[in-house]
Amino acid sequence: MSNDFDPKIVAFCCKYCAYTAADLAGSMRLDYPPTVRIVQLLCSGRADVLHLLKAFENGADAVFVAG
Amino acid sequence: MIVADRKPIEDIKEMLTPYKKILMVGCGTCVSVCMAGGEKEVGVLASELRMIDKMENKNWEITETTIQRQCEREYIEPLEEKFKEADIVLSMACGVGVQYMVEVFPEKIVLPALNTTFYGTTVSEGEWEERCAGCGECVLHLTLGVCPVARCSKGLYNGPCGGTDMGKCEVSKELDCAWYLIHNRMKDLGKIEMMGTFIKPRSWKQSLNGGPRKRVREDLKK
Repeated sequence: MSNDFDPKIVAFCCKYCAYTAADLAGSMRLDYPPTVRIVQLLCSGRADVLHLLKAFENGADAVFVAG
Repeated sequence: MIVADRKPIEDIKEMLTPYKKILMVGCGTCVSVCMAGGEKEVGVLASELRMIDKMENKNWEITETTIQRQCEREYIEPLEEKFKEADIVLSMACGVGVQYMVEVFPEKIVLPALNTTFYGTTVSEGEWEERCAGCGECVLHLTLGVCPVARCSKGLYNGPCGGTDMGKCEVSKELDCAWYLIHNRMKDLGKIEMMGTFIKPRSWKQSLNGGPRKRVREDLKK
């Protein structure tokens, strides 16, 4: 793997905690890689294996669920 | 319910390799409950197959559907158009479903995505155990609700054998000795004298030894 590998990461985030944290990061002008794509869920319990697989199918290198 | 396990992805991949248009059919009854071949499992397998398709250029076109039961004609027949369009059908039902879809649409090949394993129950989340062998002559009244055919490794009618060990079976420490369970139930229910009752040998013709079985109710036949 070359050193310029820039992984595409999909984050499934709970609206009330992890997503709010990402929002706060924005308000605080903190940087995070643009290749992290956030999908807001009303609860991380909504995350399903089919969502994770769909992300991989569409080219994600990694997927994480935060909540 | 009928309990099944999904075949390894490598086996499924090999079966599908010669084909292009794949129709995946899930079953919404037993194998949904044991989480082997319901709508969710069809989605997961389809996703895995699509990823294999992308990585290995298989040129697969995958269609997913799940019907209520694959062991009844009325649920299978509405799939006629989808069957016509497919090169191959991958069934995620038990062996009954695979065979009955072939009987309804004999011009198609239907491949099994599952290994059908046993008649069982959900003992805890994610854990299923065998309870019935479908032997054709129930003796649960003689053993107080613990089946010696399905749950004794030797299928003994008059047990236990010498391999019983502190309530476990000699075949595996994971297995309860069925006759230990039967004995304890008889004792707990004040019916220990039943242990002395000899269960007579039976004919196994009602089981698979008599060939495939059939049940007919003349009053219901048309």
